Amino acid sequence: MMVSSMGVQSLGREMVGMYSQSLFQALIIILLIGAACAAILHKHAKLSRSVACSAVFISASAGAWLAIDVILNGPVQLGVSLATFFGDWTVSLDQIGGYFLLMVCMIMACVAVYSLGYLKEYDGKYDAGLMGGLLCLFFLSLVLVISSNNIIFFLISWELMSVLSFLLVMYEGRKEGVAPAGLLYLIMTHVGTAFITVSFLLMANYTGSYAFSDIAAGWASIPMDVRSVCFVFLLIGFGTKAGMVPVHIWLPAAHPAAPSNISALMSGVMVKMALIMMVRSFFLYLGPVQTWWGLAILLIGSISALVGVLNALKETDIKSTLAYSTVENMGIIFIGLGASLIFDSYGLTAFAALALIATLFHALNHAVFKALLFLGAGSVLHATHTRNMEAMGGLAKRMPYTSAAVLIGLLSMAAIPPLGGFVSEWLLFQSLLLSANIPDILIKIIIPVSIALLALTGALAATMAVRFFGTVFLARPRSERAEDAHESPRSMLIGMGFLAIMCFVLGLASFAILPYIDNVSASVLGVSITSQLVDGIFVSPISSDFSTMAPLLIAVLAIGILGLTWGMVRMYGGKQVVRETDTWDCGTPLGPRNEYTGTAFSSPLVRIFSPIYRSQTEIRTEFTASPYVKKRITYGLRFTDIFEKYFYRPLVRFITAVSKRLAVIQTGSIQAYLAYIFIMLLLLLVIFR
Amino acid sequence: MTQELLTDTINGLAAIVLLTSFFLVANTRMHQLVRTFTLQSLALGLFAFFVAYYTGAEHIYLVAVLTIIIKAIIIPRFLDYTIEKIQVKKEVEPLVGIPLSLLICTGLAFIGYYIAEPVIANGNIITKNCLAISVAVVLIGFYLMASRRKAMSEVVALLVIENGLFLAAISITYGMPLIVELGIFFDVFVTVLIMGVFVFKINRTFETLDTRFMRRLRD
Repeated sequence: MMVSSMGVQSLGREMVGMYSQSLFQALIIILLIGAACAAILHKHAKLSRSVACSAVFISASAGAWLAIDVILNGPVQLGVSLATFFGDWTVSLDQIGGYFLLMVCMIMACVAVYSLGYLKEYDGKYDAGLMGGLLCLFFLSLVLVISSNNIIFFLISWELMSVLSFLLVMYEGRKEGVAPAGLLYLIMTHVGTAFITVSFLLMANYTGSYAFSDIAAGWASIPMDVRSVCFVFLLIGFGTKAGMVPVHIWLPAAHPAAPSNISALMSGVMVKMALIMMVRSFFLYLGPVQTWWGLAILLIGSISALVGVLNALKETDIKSTLAYSTVENMGIIFIGLGASLIFDSYGLTAFAALALIATLFHALNHAVFKALLFLGAGSVLHATHTRNMEAMGGLAKRMPYTSAAVLIGLLSMAAIPPLGGFVSEWLLFQSLLLSANIPDILIKIIIPVSIALLALTGALAATMAVRFFGTVFLARPRSERAEDAHESPRSMLIGMGFLAIMCFVLGLASFAILPYIDNVSASVLGVSITSQLVDGIFVSPISSDFSTMAPLLIAVLAIGILGLTWGMVRMYGGKQVVRETDTWDCGTPLGPRNEYTGTAFSSPLVRIFSPIYRSQTEIRTEFTASPYVKKRITYGLRFTDIFEKYFYRPLVRFITAVSKRLAVIQTGSIQAYLAYIFIMLLLLLVIFR
Repeated sequence: MTQELLTDTINGLAAIVLLTSFFLVANTRMHQLVRTFTLQSLALGLFAFFVAYYTGAEHIYLVAVLTIIIKAIIIPRFLDYTIEKIQVKKEVEPLVGIPLSLLICTGLAFIGYYIAEPVIANGNIITKNCLAISVAVVLIGFYLMASRRKAMSEVVALLVIENGLFLAAISITYGMPLIVELGIFFDVFVTVLIMGVFVFKINRTFETLDTRFMRRLRD
């Protein structure tokens, strides 16, 4: 379907293709120049930072323009072509690529503005040129991952993205805990890339071409078994990058370890690169979709969502909480992708399109609110210099703008109408509910289970949002650091502010945005459902008698009811008298230590889900001389990560044992190595003579 | 010179190259090793000379002369100089006993023929035996490299491998383009120089040329 649409549009697109090419080239050149200048000017931190951030901002604008053009008008060849042994290294942008490019550029632009203020903190401690240069190159690698149309070129870009993000994670390398997190990330991402490489090379081997477009056309020459193997390997490979359970362990370690602006990019944007490649691979490159592919992704997604949100609830580190929430949201996105694959495998393309639209829209929403939340966390970190939630509190008064922005992000994350997160999760639920139309009994059982898990996840996510906001921003400061907190510089607020506005826009204007996402999904599935999806300001899944919703109307009603209530209260409640006195405190002065902590807030849930948390509580009391007077009570809470204990520990033990056996051949003697080479050479010569 | 005599001479010289490889394996002294290598290079040079005469390709004459000058005169002198300079012990110290080594090398010569057989069966060039010989020489050179301890003998072994490759190049293609040959000569020359420097370094660092001590570099 893609090929034909490209053919039809190619004639009229030539003129447009010209300026798309110039935009693309401008984007690349500006980023390269930005990186070079930032590196050269590294002695002058402020200048270097400004150059890098402006380069990122300008290229992000160019990229966004290009992306919008592609979404509206169809795919373009971006010209840059390099003939190599592995076929032409062409760069092209299809509609789904355009969609993700727009996402990347939007977040990048906000992060660039934010970084101007945020990176000031590192002056004198870490090299500004390094950060600026890496930021520019990282952006470039993301663009190349989206747009490369050749397996080898793609793998190089993918690896570039992984290595650059690793370097960015390691930016604060002297801080405790950063190096192990970075190492874990490096190992996991390379394992993932190995799986991807094997799978893509298998595909190239059977189709005889290294170009993705040829593979999409020639999937029929890949045997069914090999296609399934490719699917599994791609799922593991891309799943690693996307934070899929059980290969998610690096994500909660590495995302928080990076500087906050980078965390925002990694959690908001980089994990989505795995999504775009999954959508492309499973729908376009691997031929007809198999039902069990969808089921596998659906199940893994459901588990990821639950595991992610449960872990997010127990964390007291603000950035770790957000990182686990990324695992959760990627799980939700996987549920949508899985549902879409299942519908597609049964030929229910319209339903598949609905699920895919929900998936893509949630990916966009997640990118926006997660980037916003990480930037907000960075802002809090900037003010308090701690990541420990229990040492914060009372920041709403000290940092009003940051707290407002974070609140909006959290509401969107908790799927509260009329924000963006609500619309996408609502669409996802609707599409899952449509599974009643599938004739298979197995699926009729599994999908409701995942609906239940998704609902549970949603409720827990809302709890998490309340816990996060309540502990960090409300009540009284729990430490001096929180007491001395101050509002962040304007550039940081502008970066967050734009994303906060986007949260509203994505929700309120969803009826206007969804047709374009439908355009994107149509380029993958070949079916457009705009006419059934959107009716004026109303959004409905396929059949409007099933259910229908209008975010704009919800907002208007909400504001109306709020206003009405306020008015009623004012009218009948009489005059309000403000009286300032202490809270009744039973005679003991209440201090910040009496406040409800984050740990306390999640304690009931930790009990309910104790089989998953494997938590151990330890309460130790120290007495003074008299047993009636206690000197100190300490409370310890430990969690056991079941994936670490039952999956990774045994795996590491096994690998270590095998390595020790294999180490015997590594004697260090030159003669032995020469003998290995010699024997290998002889064998090869004799076998292939 | 009749055609037949010429063919016999070429094959005979190739046989000498193979024979000297066996001598190299059997040599117990460093200087002896270098002498035998000189002899091999000389045989190789003459081989190239007769191939040039047989084919009438003029540039191979130049190659023959260069072979003799570089491989039979300059490099052996340099090796001798190095051996004297760092006062390496004269014994070769093989890891595998000499009688066993000779047996293994005979086996390698057979393998050489076995490997070259499909190529020989197709071609009808007079030097076709030489391909099998050159493969055998390369393999023996490799074996020499793997079975000796001293860095000096490794250098000689590498040169033997190079001689084997040279023999193959001349006998199969009747000489590569001159520019390629010159490039190879230059490469070999530079390689030997660099390896000479490394031998000095190894000697100074470990007080010996025994590469077994380089195990310490592990981990």
